[in-house]
Amino acid sequence: MTSSMIPGLWMIIASILLPIIPHYFRQPTMILSVVLSSLSLLNGFGTFLTWDILGFNLTLYHSDNLTLPFAIIFHIASLLVIIYGWHNKNLIENMATLAYAGSAIGALHAGDFFSLFIWWEATALTSVFIVLAGNTISARNSAMRYLIIQVCSGVLLLIGASMMVYQTGNHELTKLDLSSNFGVFIFLAFGIKAAFPFLNGWLQDSYPESSPTGTVALSAFTTKLAIYALARTFPGTETLIWIGAIMTAFPVFFAVIENDLRRVLSFSLNNQLGFMVVGIGIGTELSLNGTVAHAFVHIIYKALLFMSMGAVLHRVGTTKASELGGLYKYMPLTTIFCIVGAMSISAFPLFSGFVAKSLIMSALGGQGLILIYFVLFFASAGVLEHSGIKIPYFAFFAHERKTKVKEAPFNMLLAMGIAATLCIGIGVYPKYLYSILPYAVDYQPYTIDHVVSQLQLLVFAILAFLFLVKFKLYPSEIKSTVLNSDWFYRKMLPGIGRPLFKTLSSIINKVYLLIGLLFKSSLGRAKSFTEVHYIKVTTPGFAALVLISILFFMLIIAVI
Amino acid sequence: MKNNNLKTYAKYFSQFIIAVAGLLIIIDFTIHRHAYFHLEEIIGFPAIFGFICFVFIVIVGKQLRKILMRKEDYYDK
Repeated sequence: MTSSMIPGLWMIIASILLPIIPHYFRQPTMILSVVLSSLSLLNGFGTFLTWDILGFNLTLYHSDNLTLPFAIIFHIASLLVIIYGWHNKNLIENMATLAYAGSAIGALHAGDFFSLFIWWEATALTSVFIVLAGNTISARNSAMRYLIIQVCSGVLLLIGASMMVYQTGNHELTKLDLSSNFGVFIFLAFGIKAAFPFLNGWLQDSYPESSPTGTVALSAFTTKLAIYALARTFPGTETLIWIGAIMTAFPVFFAVIENDLRRVLSFSLNNQLGFMVVGIGIGTELSLNGTVAHAFVHIIYKALLFMSMGAVLHRVGTTKASELGGLYKYMPLTTIFCIVGAMSISAFPLFSGFVAKSLIMSALGGQGLILIYFVLFFASAGVLEHSGIKIPYFAFFAHERKTKVKEAPFNMLLAMGIAATLCIGIGVYPKYLYSILPYAVDYQPYTIDHVVSQLQLLVFAILAFLFLVKFKLYPSEIKSTVLNSDWFYRKMLPGIGRPLFKTLSSIINKVYLLIGLLFKSSLGRAKSFTEVHYIKVTTPGFAALVLISILFFMLIIAVI
Repeated sequence: MKNNNLKTYAKYFSQFIIAVAGLLIIIDFTIHRHAYFHLEEIIGFPAIFGFICFVFIVIVGKQLRKILMRKEDYYDK
């Protein structure tokens, strides 16, 4: 029955059926669909479903050693998200979450660029409703920007895939490089979703705008799908090592000064993606294993951290560090789970981050890439700063709290508990994780050299924190907006574009009126062009215009 | 005493961290760590590196505020 059913499709079918299901059974139906979908994973490796259409042979369901670990973790993440959002009665958000997770799982099993494109766009279109469900004006604006960027990534992918077919006659999902022009388009498409430097603005812009449950879902799929796609098509591309190193280092500084803790986690997510991108860039079996292992554990601990901040948002109504503190007394379990997540992401021995990050670091060391090695070592101290210390410290400690707050609801605690257990479980018994990695692993993370080295780094970094706090050098939190790469299209381009547009439209108006005066036609009776047809320039509207022009321009260049 | 809970915890936590840090340095003298680069094998190198990186990140971050920080309603205007 499940043999040729694309994994994830059950979840999409269930999401379409959700409106006619009584709300008591909504979450159980969602869980059931994830379980049904996961049965397909028992099929083993191979190509199970192809479709001949318009002369193309689309591979709709293909699985191999690279898709399996991602598929497993995507299913686990779906279950966590559903349990965490059990109380959530927002039908649109429930439907969007399930369809989004389903599309991401479907995308993993696409065997060619056109099927991948369909799923790629499906994840964009479904996830935008999750951002919209944040239900504020800023969430709505953010969702529009998010949609433009995500669709832009999809269009680039389609351009790349079409050029590839035109030039090579092949559209299989195979290894590419940057020497071909279609390779560059596809690389950029993946790069947007993987939040490469300067293409990352959408991530920190939209994720913190979503609802407490929405952010958890968003954090799991889109970016890791991009990591999977990069690992499949661009392993061993040297450029990626440098891009990844920049990604690990730069968000660290932004995270230090950002006030919204969910935005801090989004910067941290960006930094974690950097480690995975470096792993893909090295391209050895060890490093690719490292990337996959890191993506696997990262989804769990990042979800755990977002869940703990979601619980804070749910109970307190804000995640701004300047308004939090002292919650340890009222939310003790959430505090413990958050600390487990924080220790996992900081890669303390016996926690999941350690067993995964070690693989990437060893791969780097093995290749003799000393500079990148120390950049990542530096970034590890950065991770400890913003995710390991800043998040738990400002939310749960910092100072005593005066007003009482209730502990998170049971379903949230359950989801966090499961995630925390997985974090520790994988850290203590890494062999189960290693057994599902793409290549055979003979790796021992727990050597005395390695443990002492890592502990020294972390413990002395904590000591530095204590020292800075003691001498009042640690920056206090200030209500503020921190500029990020979305500034270019939120402020700079409208700043240049709006006056231009106004001048242009006033010229058109004058010409229009002149024509009216000269010919005394009915045209002249209309007051002016802008007042009749044209409404107001909005930032997303303008951004869309600019992006479309860029794409059009690229298309022309590509054709020439 | 009621309001000093956090301060007490912070004191215990600091003492714990200092003890562990000392222990790690002592261990480092007794074993010879093998690493990929000789630099990392120097006794206490990861410790010094971690400490300096942390301070560096915080100090640079603080300075970056001058360039990157805007009012909370910056984008709404």
